[in-house]
Amino acid sequence: MTSTEIAAVRPARTPRRSGPRSTLTRSSGLGLGIAMIWFSALVLIPLAAVVVTAVDGGWDVFWSTVTNGQTAAAIRLTVLTAVGVTAVNVVMGPLIAWVLVRDRFWGKSVLEVMIDIPFALPTVVAGLVLLSLYGQDSPLGVDVANTRMAVFLAFLFVTLPFVVRMVQPVLEELDRDVEEAAASLGASRFTTFRRIVLPSLAPAIAAGAALSFARGVSEYGSLVLLSGNLPFKTEVTSVRILSSIENDNVPAAAAVATVLLAISLAVIVLLDVIQRRVAARG
Amino acid sequence: MADTLVHAVPDPAPVEEHRRAPRVRRTPTTYVLRFVATAYLFLLVAWPVSLVVVNTFDDGFGSIGSLLADPDMVVALQLSAYVAVWSVVINTLFGVGISLLLVRYEFPGKRLLNALLDIPLSVSPIVVGLALVLVYGGRNGWFGPTLAGWGFQVIFSTPGIIMATTFVALPLMIREIVPVLEEVGIEQEQAAESLGASAAQRFWRITLPSIKWGIVYGVVLTLARSLGEFGAVKVVSGNVLGQTRTATLAVEEKYLNFDPQGAYATAFLLAMVSVACIVVVAIIRPKNHA
Amino acid sequence: MSIEVTGLNKKFGDFVALDDVNVTIPTGQLTALLGPSGGGKSTLLRIIAGLEKSDTGTVTIEGVDATDLPAQKRNVGFVFQHYAVFKHMTVAKNVAFGLEIRKRPKDEIEHRVQELLKLVHLSQFSHRLPSQLSGGQRQRMALARALAVEPSVLLLDEPFGALDAKVRKELRDWLRRLHDDVHVTTVFVTHDQEEALEVADEIVVINEGRVEQVGTPDQLYDEPANDFVMSFLGEVTHFGGVSLRPHDIELETSPKLAGSVEGTVHRLVRIGFEVRLTVLTVDGDEVAVVVTRAHARALQLREGSTVWLTPAAGATVVPRMAAAV
Ligand SMILES: Nc1ncnc2c1ncn2[C@@H]1O[C@H](COP(=O)(O)OP(=O)(O)OP(=O)(O)O)[C@@H](O)[C@H]1O
Ligand SMILES: [Mg+2]
Repeated sequence: MTSTEIAAVRPARTPRRSGPRSTLTRSSGLGLGIAMIWFSALVLIPLAAVVVTAVDGGWDVFWSTVTNGQTAAAIRLTVLTAVGVTAVNVVMGPLIAWVLVRDRFWGKSVLEVMIDIPFALPTVVAGLVLLSLYGQDSPLGVDVANTRMAVFLAFLFVTLPFVVRMVQPVLEELDRDVEEAAASLGASRFTTFRRIVLPSLAPAIAAGAALSFARGVSEYGSLVLLSGNLPFKTEVTSVRILSSIENDNVPAAAAVATVLLAISLAVIVLLDVIQRRVAARG
Repeated sequence: MADTLVHAVPDPAPVEEHRRAPRVRRTPTTYVLRFVATAYLFLLVAWPVSLVVVNTFDDGFGSIGSLLADPDMVVALQLSAYVAVWSVVINTLFGVGISLLLVRYEFPGKRLLNALLDIPLSVSPIVVGLALVLVYGGRNGWFGPTLAGWGFQVIFSTPGIIMATTFVALPLMIREIVPVLEEVGIEQEQAAESLGASAAQRFWRITLPSIKWGIVYGVVLTLARSLGEFGAVKVVSGNVLGQTRTATLAVEEKYLNFDPQGAYATAFLLAMVSVACIVVVAIIRPKNHA
Repeated sequence: MSIEVTGLNKKFGDFVALDDVNVTIPTGQLTALLGPSGGGKSTLLRIIAGLEKSDTGTVTIEGVDATDLPAQKRNVGFVFQHYAVFKHMTVAKNVAFGLEIRKRPKDEIEHRVQELLKLVHLSQFSHRLPSQLSGGQRQRMALARALAVEPSVLLLDEPFGALDAKVRKELRDWLRRLHDDVHVTTVFVTHDQEEALEVADEIVVINEGRVEQVGTPDQLYDEPANDFVMSFLGEVTHFGGVSLRPHDIELETSPKLAGSVEGTVHRLVRIGFEVRLTVLTVDGDEVAVVVTRAHARALQLREGSTVWLTPAAGATVVPRMAAAV
């Protein structure tokens, strides 16, 4: 089937109308209103409350809280580990996706399910799971519990699905004819990969990386049992916030939470930009 | 009317969902990549997860049996299930509604809303808990005292746990449905309209069946995420034994109280439900809806 | 009159898609909306069906003012260019849809569906899913689905647009025969003039949001209202300040007729039984002329021959516009 035929058989997309003109009817407008009230009550107002509480304390308080030695160490550890884990995912994610899409061997469907497990598993259980192989009673004899390696491992586990699941569908859609055309033009497999495949995957990898970074920075549950939460050593930002809450120091908790929110917001904006660029490319 | 047409029309060949069988060119690189991917997943996921299963059944079904004999644990499991069901119901209604609005209508601020809906994906669960406490906390929250005045306690009680859980799982349903709705397009609905179907009939007979698999997958993901929520629930629940302690909170509690067997058994139960959901859907989901 | 459209205007943003359109579509006839791509044909059809709202103007269907009626209440059958089949329903369920919405009794629905599937030659496929049908079969199913509810008018948007040339031609003949059997007022959109001329009782020519001409195929072909209609319905050449069809030019090897213009055969191509010539006249026109092969042989025409051209008596001629197509 030629590509024009496929295009002709596809149902027409929803008409894209220009400008911010509203096409809401009365009932859909009502629906949007109700949805917005719920979304505001659940998400927007509470998150705004975090920022307002942080700002209420004044800039000095905010700054001294965030730059407090222990807090700063926690933020640094969280961000650096998330960056490191994302780097690993950027390599391993496309690699795994490639094997899942292009290779065929016995037991591949088991690998498929394994990708989803970190997402499905309760985070606290994830911590327990890692502890069973990399903790005190490790059958491997590697005990990383209560070290920075444990934090890295926990992040690696919970962020596993993001890049893989973003890249996989793109790889499936990728027209293999294009690769074969490149090969027929004399390109080596490596050149084909670098010049043809990689550019098509880049937006998906970037989006997956952004999500995996955001997830890493905000991780909490899997660390509770695994990292020991040692100040200056293995304590991450979320744990810092929790201990402020437990000490009834809400302004401090809100200040650190605002830093995390700023990071999430940056990721959201990045994702939006990536999606627009992909949509523009068609 | 001549009957030639029946024979003249070419056979049903060009079907959209046509998919080429993968051609595998095996080179040494293929085997290296396969080995690396398998080893990585084995060390990171398969082996540790299987150890939890092994640890749980160290002494047969004893640990699970004693778990289910503990009334507080039964309450915790029930609470987790109750909260997860609410979260799934709320997020399904909200997700289907907002996805339809996002795909089928234009309105000012749509792009902003679209981006904001992804926020819960990247917010720390502890921040989620804090945010809800700041607004709905019974003593100092923005709305909390008012609601308490009406006899409605949110924080340190079940509604708070439901809200926290719903918050963290919110984008999952939307992310599943929106692409499906875009792919399906609007023509089938318009065809139904021209055949006399009302808005409600179009939704139930055309739209819903076309996004069915998106919803099923969304429900499974939301359920798994909701059952497993830990940090946000920890902040808003107060963690009162037998009242607001969920199963995930019990895992931590048991482990820290030197009851690893109990922790493993609870973890096993939770993991089993989540993994079972994923596996079942992976099997029953038709391939062309992948 | 079955459908009356008056004073219709439609803008998309600043773009004028329909500009004061007035059309009357006769009952029981097969009418074609013909025009180039982007001319506004689909927009007009969708406004008649109620799938799109016009900015101003009225639509009357069977004497009822339908301007503010939603699509579901207009009782029109609409067949989409890409069929819009209900993918999750079998062929029979697709066809039964409108009847089920109307809460007809079960056995009546079943009977009617069988009847329709027979009409469109799909009886043996009734339990298949649409994805297991070919394009032409899907198209016929969509047609049966629209006919099932006994619509007062049947609207088809480029019904054969997505099909290959052979199937297209067969379905076109079949639609004509079907219409002769069923006699429902039918409007179909096409940008293929051959399709319109062959199938339609009446043709509405639309260009850039305006109706250029309404008439029977013969009227349109023989008395085009303007250069646009003329050139859209067939080949046109320009000769002595007028537009006319290449076969309406008489060609001689000597100046026998009064007012004939001298020229030289520049190019000569034989296609089947006819011969196409490009003649450069002494007035500087480049004129296309078609003659029969026998005629060309009799005159011993070849490239470089000197010829005299005259518009044939009774030829369709319109003044040449500045912006001729
Ligand atoms: N929803 C829309 N938003 C903006 N412009 C539109 C929309 N629908 C149609 N148009 C524009 O209106 C004009 C007429 O469109 P229409 O679909 O009626 O053309 P058509 O005559 O059916 O063409 P074709 O033969 O290609 O189908 C086109 O220029 C098109 O770009
Ligand atoms: Mg059109």
